[in-house]
This record gives sequence, C-alpha cells and structure tokens, in this order.
Amino acid sequence: MKHDQPELIDALASEYVLGTLRGAARRRFERWLSAEWHIASRVRTWEGRLIPLALGLPPITPSQGVWERIEERIRTADIPPAATSRPRAARPALRALAAVLVLCAIFAGGYVAWRMTESLRLQTVATIKGAQGSVVWSIQLDAHRERLRAVALAGAAASPGHSFELWALPAGKGAPVSLGVLPARGQFERTLTVAQRAALASAAQVAVSLEPPGGSPTGAPTGPVLFVAPLKQA
Amino acid sequence: MSNTEAANSMDDELARLVHACAARDRQALRKLYDLMAGQMLASLVRILKRRALAEEALQDVFVSIWQRAAQFESGRGPARIWLMAIARHRAIDVLRSERVELYRDADVEQIPEPAMEGVGDWSSAGRSAAALARCFEELSGEQRRGIELAFVNGYSHADIARVTGEPLGTIKSWIRRGLASLRQCLET
Repeated sequence: MKHDQPELIDALASEYVLGTLRGAARRRFERWLSAEWHIASRVRTWEGRLIPLALGLPPITPSQGVWERIEERIRTADIPPAATSRPRAARPALRALAAVLVLCAIFAGGYVAWRMTESLRLQTVATIKGAQGSVVWSIQLDAHRERLRAVALAGAAASPGHSFELWALPAGKGAPVSLGVLPARGQFERTLTVAQRAALASAAQVAVSLEPPGGSPTGAPTGPVLFVAPLKQA
Repeated sequence: MSNTEAANSMDDELARLVHACAARDRQALRKLYDLMAGQMLASLVRILKRRALAEEALQDVFVSIWQRAAQFESGRGPARIWLMAIARHRAIDVLRSERVELYRDADVEQIPEPAMEGVGDWSSAGRSAAALARCFEELSGEQRRGIELAFVNGYSHADIARVTGEPLGTIKSWIRRGLASLRQCLET
C-alpha cells in the first residue's frame, strides 16, 4: 500500500468508516491505522461526516437486564484478580511457587522494560517556541528516527475548530511533508512512514500550520504557518 | 435553543460524562447509557438484524466505553461521534466474526427499505448533520441508496448488488463516486 498518496488514503478511510472495506483489506488498513496518526485523523474526519447518518434512526429501548449485565461486567473487570482469589487459604507450597513466579516475572519484566527503553530512547530534535519564548511542543525521535513523539507543554492552546499540524520542511524546493496533527495537550507517539522518514532526513526545519480539525485535507499546508523551528540532525 | 445549540450542549454533557467514566464514576456510565443506548441499539439492530445479537453487542460497547474513556479527547470532535464510532466498529466486528450469513434471503425481506425519510430527523444531530443532509441531497439516487445501505444497514458491496440486482462493479462505482462527491461538498 502506498503511504504517501493522500487521495488513496482518504478513499480507503471513507470505505473503512462506511463499512464496505472488508476482509483482508480491512485488517491491513486497521494495522496501518493503529501505526500512523495521519491515517487516524482521516478516519476521524470521515466518522464526523458519516455518523450523523446513523444518528437519525428512531431509538430502540434496550430490554430489561441489559444494563445489569453491563454493570456486572464492569464490576468484574475492575476488580484486580488478586482480590477475587483467597490467598490465605493457599497452601505453603503453592505460596512458595507463587513467590518464585512473581520473582521471575519481575526479572523478566525488568529485562523487557530495559530492552524497550534502550531501543525507544527518544531525544529532542526540535523545540517549538511561542511568541514569548515559552516552549509549546517538544518534538522527539528515537535513535533510528522511526518513531516520533510530540509532547504538548504549557502554552499549547487548543484552538476550537482547528488542529495544529506538524510538517518537515525539506531543504531546497521540496514540498512540506506532513508529520501529523499535534496534540493540544498530553503527548502522541507514532511510527513514521518511509516517506516521512525520508523527508525528515533531508529537512533542516519543521513547521506548524493551522488546519481544519483532523489536519490538512489536501496533504499540503492549507492554513497559516504559525511556527518554524530548526531540526537537529542525527 | 436552536437544534445546533441543543446538539452542542448534548455533546458537552456527553463529553463530561465520558471524562467522569475515565475517573471511574459508574453513575456517569449509567447516565451515558440513558442518553445513548437507544440510539446505539437502533444502529446495531439495523446492522446485525437480530435483536439478541445487537443487545449483546450493546453490552460490549458500554464495557468498551468504560475501558477506553481515558483515551477520549474532547478537542478531537463531538463525544457523540466518538461513542457512535465505538458502537459501529463493534457491529462490524460482530458481522466479521459471525460465520453464519446474517442477512440472506428471508431476512432481507424483513428489513425496511432505507430511505431518507426513514432515516429521520438529522437536525437534532447538529450542524455537521445539517451539512451532511444537504450534501446527501446532491448525490444521485443510486449513490445515496448505495451509501445508505452500506452505512446504515451494514451491507457489503455484494449484499447491495444482491438487493438492488445491479452488477458488483456498478455498486462499487456508485459508492466510490458518492463518497467523493460527499467529500467535495462537505469541504466547501
């Protein structure tokens, strides 16, 4: 599947939301969707467009008992497994075995966590500052420049009816390449596409533009460019 | 209060309730259920055709809302769209996992023919719905019917070909062109 064709992405997103993208194509699109935020933003746009169609149906009152079953399921889901078992009744041998298993799990978990932090260690490559010099977003990449994290810091004001979109500005005359919509608060972390990685490798700057909700519909910046920041190369 | 204002204040209330669910407030989930379960069930019944299956899916939807409430971001769009999207995804997952053919032959006859008037009053769903209604009107009859059968009834391309008696390729092109026109109309 081509990753850098906005029209193809939009067509797939529309048929995904419509429900006519089925079978292997749907599964493939879902994997892609979970990895790349610009695709998720196309899907959200189409949900906003089509879901009102489903809101017009006359409501149907659920049968008695549906709510009780939901309540029961969330009660069971919320109780941690330890609280439902009865550890005091366990025999000493079982308790010793449990202790060994817990220790193994702690070591294995620690090792996996250590491996993950090693491979995912992120460094800040661009700092986007507001008018008064306050830091608005911190843009970070992993050592392989495959994962991008955008952290919204104090000052990233949510603009109602708009999204902020991040772009890689290639040196020379190349067109800006979208790196996705920036979070208004909190942080996002996404795997970059081949096209985005290539754009970042040749970019000296990143920019933020103001776009319609969910990001630019055209694949190129449509609104005003609000910020430009230098990009630290590897 | 206009319909759009009413829809916005409803979305604000829904967003507040979803945030309260993220903070583990079960009363908030109950209120969400009171506000949304009827509309969700209508959509699930339309797609899954069987009431019992739809009510089971409705349970899954509310358990899922409870588990995913913390992922909801009010800045990304109306809460109603987020909630209905969870219901629709669940319905399509059930369709995918059900090995039996859900709507063959006799079943299809029981489903009311979808039509714009059957879809009801969109204005209560706010400004985006009003724009959608206007753009929908601009589609050709075939495009509208194709999109409606797919979206509202959960039909595949092949299902639509069967109920309309048109070739599969024709159906695919109605839908593809209909979506492209909708996109163009909604963006202007």
